This record gives sequence, structure tokens and C-alpha cells, in this order.
Amino acid sequence: MSVGEGSEVLFRLFGVLDVTGEVIVMWAMLLIIAVISFVAGKKLKERPGKFQNVIETAVEYLDNFFTDSLGKEKARKNFTFLGSLFIFIIVSNYSGFIPGVGLTPYAKAPTSSLSVTAALGVITFVFLLISGLRRGVKHYFKRFITPMALMLPLLVLDEFIKPVSLALRLYGNIFGEETVTEELYNIFPIGVPVIMMVLSLLFCALQAVVFTMLVSIYLDEVTE
Amino acid sequence: MTDSAIIALAAALAIAFSTLGPAIGQGLTAKAAMEGIARQPEASKDIRSNLIVSLALMEALTIYGLLIAFMLISKI
Repeated sequence: MSVGEGSEVLFRLFGVLDVTGEVIVMWAMLLIIAVISFVAGKKLKERPGKFQNVIETAVEYLDNFFTDSLGKEKARKNFTFLGSLFIFIIVSNYSGFIPGVGLTPYAKAPTSSLSVTAALGVITFVFLLISGLRRGVKHYFKRFITPMALMLPLLVLDEFIKPVSLALRLYGNIFGEETVTEELYNIFPIGVPVIMMVLSLLFCALQAVVFTMLVSIYLDEVTE
Repeated sequence: MTDSAIIALAAALAIAFSTLGPAIGQGLTAKAAMEGIARQPEASKDIRSNLIVSLALMEALTIYGLLIAFMLISKI
């Protein structure tokens, strides 16, 4: 698959929904995350067992991460959205490591498709708009002419560039990694792709961190 | 030169030039951050998170070049 080319449609659901390899991986992710959360939240104990300990550590880490950039009150208020975003991005980035994912049309890492990252960008845009307007309509629009009225076109443009650059950055990174790994696999299938995969092990986590950190910085700007 | 040779050259130049600028910028950023940490080790936590964000913002420019290069390669 190359840039700008749609993924192969495997079959159509109810005659309208095109199901591609990305959608199948997303369904699998959804199922796994839902089952883990359900099992973890079913029996909460005062003295956590092994499994509960792991999940609690992860949630605490996320909480600290957002508290650092947003402050306690705002981080708690928006934790559901930002946390879900982080979990979705990191799991779908790492899904490229499952053997076979990315090499067949039946399974692809969701974030290596521009449609998925563009959707994340649009969701972020709407989220920022709604949180800004809930803070105060007058306050929100005042932000566009804050130093002087001359800045208006630039600041309006900036508002639209934010989600686009978020989407393109995530897509470019993951797609680039997947493509380079595939090329190395075509050169020599055994051992050689490991070079790129070790690097992507770091970059996949970093991209999720960067995406959510930028969203929380934008949120802080909008609601200050 | 044939058309595909020109396209191949364009793809190579796109990724090469879009790596040059951000590489210099990232080097300067990392240098400043290291100096800051060496002077004030207690501020290293704040510096690290800001460093990662600014490096990622510069990285995006290289990624745009990479996307254009892939786009050109698929036209050969």
C-alpha cells in the first residue's frame, strides 16, 4: 500500500460499512481492552492482588502524566477522554508488532492508516472546541484577538492546523516505520527487520506520549 | 533522463533536504537541554518533558518530507 491509496475492502457489513484490515484489528483491540477492563474492575479489593496492582500502576502513571501538564483539577475532569486516547493510540501502535500484522490485507496497524489518525484529529478538534466554549463563549473568542486584532487570521488558521499536524505526525511515523520494516522484510525475512522493530518499540510509545501531551497542552491553552 | 529517473531523484532530494534542517534544529535543542540539565540537575524533569515535545514538533517536518518521498516513489 502506498500513500493516498485506500486500504483493500475485505467485505461489506450491512451493505454500507466497508470492513478493512484496520477495522478488524480495531475490533480485536476493542475486545481485548474491554475484557481486561471488565475483569480488572469486577472485583476491586482494598489490598490489591497482582493483576489489580498492574492496572492500578498504569492508571496512576497516566494520572501523574496528565497532572504534570494540566494541573490536578483539569486532569481529573478530562481524564476519561485523554486516557482513552492514550490507550487507543499506544495499543494500536504496538499492534503492528503482532506477527503477520501489516503483511497481509486482513490485519493492519490502525494508526498506519490516514483515515484513523484523521478521525482522531477531528475528535480532538471537536473536544477542544467544546471544552473552550464550556469555559466561556466570550473568553474563547477573545483568545483569537488577544495580542492584537491583526493576529486573527493567523490564530484561526492555527486552530485548524493543530488537528491536521497531529494526524499527519502520527500517521507519518507509524506508516513510515511499517513501510521500512516491510522493505527490510523483503530484503531478507529472517533477523534483518529486527533492527527497525527495536527502534519502533521506542517510537511507538513516544508517539502516543507526544500526541496526548500536545492535546493536553492545547487543552490547557484553551481553558486557562 | 527518463521520467522515472527524475521522480526517483526528486524523492531522494525530498527526504534528504527535509532531514537537514530539523537535524540541525534538534541538535541545537538537545545541546541547550543538556547544558540546562548540567547546570541545574534538579530541573531535569521539566526540561525532559519540554525537550520531548519540541523534538517531536521538529520531527514532524521530517515526516512530511518522508510522506512526500513515499508519494513520489509510488508514482514511478
